Amino acid sequence: MLSYDFNWSVIWTEPYGTWMLQGIWTTICLGFISWCIALTLGIIIGTMRITPWKPLRIFATAYTEFFRDIPLLVQLFFWYFAAPSILPGFIERFLYRELPNFEFWVVVVGLSLYTSSRVAEQVRSGMQSIPTDQYYAALSTGFTHLQTYRYIITPLAIRIMIPPLTTECLTVFKNTSLAMTVGVLETTFMSQQIEAYTFRGIEATTAASLAYMVITLMVVLIMGLIEKRLSVPGLITRRR
Amino acid sequence: MGAFDWTVIIKNMPFFMKGLLTTFELAVVAISGGLFFGMLVGMARLSHIKLIYYLATIFVNFFRSLPLLLVIFWFYFLVPIIAGRPLGDFVSASVAFVVFEAAYFAEIVRAGIQSISKGQEQAAYSTGFTYAQTMRYIILPQAMRNMVPSLITQTVVVFQDTSLAYVIGLKEFLRSASIVDAREMKSLEIYAFVGLVYFIFCFLMSRFSQKLEAKRGAAK
Amino acid sequence: MIKIINVSKWFGTHKVLDNINEEIHRGQVVVICGPSGSGKSTLLKSLNGLEPFQEGDIIVDGVSLKDPSTNLMQLRQKMGMVFQRFELYPHLKVIDNITIAPIKVKKIPRKQAEEKAVQLLERVGIPEQAQKYPGNLSGGQQQRVAIARALAMEPEIMLFDEPTSALDPEMIKEVLDVMIALAKSGMTMAVVTHEMGFAREVADEIIFMDEGQIIERGTDTSFFSQPKTERAKDFLSKILI
Repeated sequence: MLSYDFNWSVIWTEPYGTWMLQGIWTTICLGFISWCIALTLGIIIGTMRITPWKPLRIFATAYTEFFRDIPLLVQLFFWYFAAPSILPGFIERFLYRELPNFEFWVVVVGLSLYTSSRVAEQVRSGMQSIPTDQYYAALSTGFTHLQTYRYIITPLAIRIMIPPLTTECLTVFKNTSLAMTVGVLETTFMSQQIEAYTFRGIEATTAASLAYMVITLMVVLIMGLIEKRLSVPGLITRRR
Repeated sequence: MGAFDWTVIIKNMPFFMKGLLTTFELAVVAISGGLFFGMLVGMARLSHIKLIYYLATIFVNFFRSLPLLLVIFWFYFLVPIIAGRPLGDFVSASVAFVVFEAAYFAEIVRAGIQSISKGQEQAAYSTGFTYAQTMRYIILPQAMRNMVPSLITQTVVVFQDTSLAYVIGLKEFLRSASIVDAREMKSLEIYAFVGLVYFIFCFLMSRFSQKLEAKRGAAK
Repeated sequence: MIKIINVSKWFGTHKVLDNINEEIHRGQVVVICGPSGSGKSTLLKSLNGLEPFQEGDIIVDGVSLKDPSTNLMQLRQKMGMVFQRFELYPHLKVIDNITIAPIKVKKIPRKQAEEKAVQLLERVGIPEQAQKYPGNLSGGQQQRVAIARALAMEPEIMLFDEPTSALDPEMIKEVLDVMIALAKSGMTMAVVTHEMGFAREVADEIIFMDEGQIIERGTDTSFFSQPKTERAKDFLSKILI
C-alpha cells in the first residue's frame, strides 16, 4: 500500500540545499525581529491593562481583544492586500514596487501586533497572580507604589511569566511559516518550492520540519538558561 | 482608491456563506476529533506504563514543535500515499487538524487531571474503585469542570486555525474570500469583512469563556 | 496613639465595617477576635491605610488618615504589619527581605541595615537562616522573619493579621513566643487572632467583632469569665474546645 520511493538527496542537492538554508535564515530573522517588537509592545499594553486610569485600560483591552480574535492569516492578508490601498497612490506604489522586502516587513508588522496582544495577556495575568497581601506587605513597610512595583512585584512577575512567554516565543517562530502565503521566502515556502521543482513533497516537508524542531529546541534552551539564572530556591512557578 | 464599495460583499454573499460553512465543518471535525484523541493521549501522558507514557510524550512534543502549516502539507502529501488514491482537500485537512490539535488538547486534559488532588484518587481507590472507574466517576468529571475555560480558548484557536487550510486550496472562508478578491479587486472591503466575521465569532466565544470563569471564581 | 472614630466601610452594597470606635494607647496590646467575615482583618488593614474606608476617620499620632495631605508612606513606616500568609518576598534572601525597606525607604547604609537585621534575626531566634530563601524555611520560621522584617523599620506599633492561622500546630508556639516577648518589651500591638492563650497572657483589651460591629470589649479576665453577649458566648464556646 505504501508505494513511495523516498529520495532524500533532493534536500542537499544544489540549488535546493542553499534554498533551504536561505529559508531557515529568513525564518530566524523574521521570528527574532517580530518577537522583540511583540515583547516590547506586549509589556506596554499588558501594563496598561492594570493601571488605575480607566481610558488606558479600555484602550489596552480593546487592543488585545481585537488582535487576538482575528486569525493571523486574515490579518496578514489585510496588511498585505488591503491596508496599502488606503494610503495615497504614490505610497502604495512605493510599497509594492520600490521597497525592498515589502512582504517581509508586512509580516513583521502583522506578526508583532498579533503576538503582542497575546504577550499582553500573559503580562496581565502574571501581575494579577500575585496576592494582594504581597502588595500590602510592601506598602506596610513604607514603600511607595512605584517602589513596590520596582523591587517586589515586577521581579516576581517576571519569574512567573517566563514559562508562558517561552510558549509564546515558540509560537512566533512557528507562525513565521504563514509568511509564505504573501511570498516571503522562508523555510516553509522554500520546502514547497523544492516540492514544486522535484515533486518530493514528503522529503522537503520533513527537512523543513527538522529545521523548525531545531529552532524550537534552541528557543527552549535559551529560555531555560534565563529561567535558571533567575530561579529562586523554593519558589514554585506555574507549570508549563 | 475611491469610495468603499460594500455591494461586492452582498453580491457574493452566497459564495462567502459556502466558504464559511466549510470552515465550520472543518472546525467541528477538528475540535471533536482533536478532543477525542486528545483525551486518550492526555491520559496516556499520565500512564504508569513507561512505553505508553513515552509514546504519548513524543507525540505531543513532536507536533507542538511544528508549525500547523507544515503539518497540513505533510498530510496533504501523505494521505494519498497511505490511502493509495487522492481523497480530496477536505479529508487531508481534517486528518492534519485532528492529529495536530490532539496534541494541544492532550496537554489541556493532562493539566486538568493533574489539577485534581492525589487525595481524590486515593479516596476513590480506598472505596474499591478500579482505575477506569476512578477516572470515569471521580477524576474526569471534576477535571472536565476545571478544563472548560481552556477548552473553550482552544476551540477559538482551532476555529482560527482552520483558515490555514487555505494553503492547500481548500475552499474555506478565507480561500473563498481570496477567490472573490481576485475577481473583484476589492481587497479592503473583502478582508475587512472576513476579519469582522471571524472577530464576532471569536469574541463571543471568548466572552462566554470569561463569563464561565468569573462564575466559577465567584462560586469558590 | 490610634483613635478610630465612627469608621464605616462598604464593599459595594455590603457593609463590612459598621460605625467602629476604638482607641489604642501607647504600650497597649489589643486583641481583636470574632468569626470569619466579621471585618476584623479589614479593620486592621484600614489602620495603616491599606484598605480605604468611606466614613469616619482614623487618627494616628495626631495625623488623620482621611486628610488628603497626609503622607501615607511616612505613616506606614511607623506601623509594622505581619500577614496571615507571611508574604515574604520569595525572590529575596531572608536578610534582603529584612533590609530592603530600611535601605530603599529610610536610605540606611546597607552595612548598618544588615547588622540590624542580624540582631533582629537573633531576637526572633533564627540567626542561622539569614542567607536562605523564604521558600526553604518552615512556616513558623517564615513568620518570624516577617516579624523581623516589620521590626526593621523600628515601628511604634505592630499590626498582626491572624499571624498563626496558616501555621501547623507545632509551629504556632514559636511564633507566639516571639509575639509575647515583643508585647512584654512594651510594644504597642493590635492583633487579630483566635489564640486565646496569647490574649490571656498579654492582652490589655479584647475586642469581639461580628458583622462589622464591635459587639463586646473587655479585659482578658472579664471577657473570658463573663462574656456579656450571646454571640460572644457562642463564639468562645466554639474556640475554647
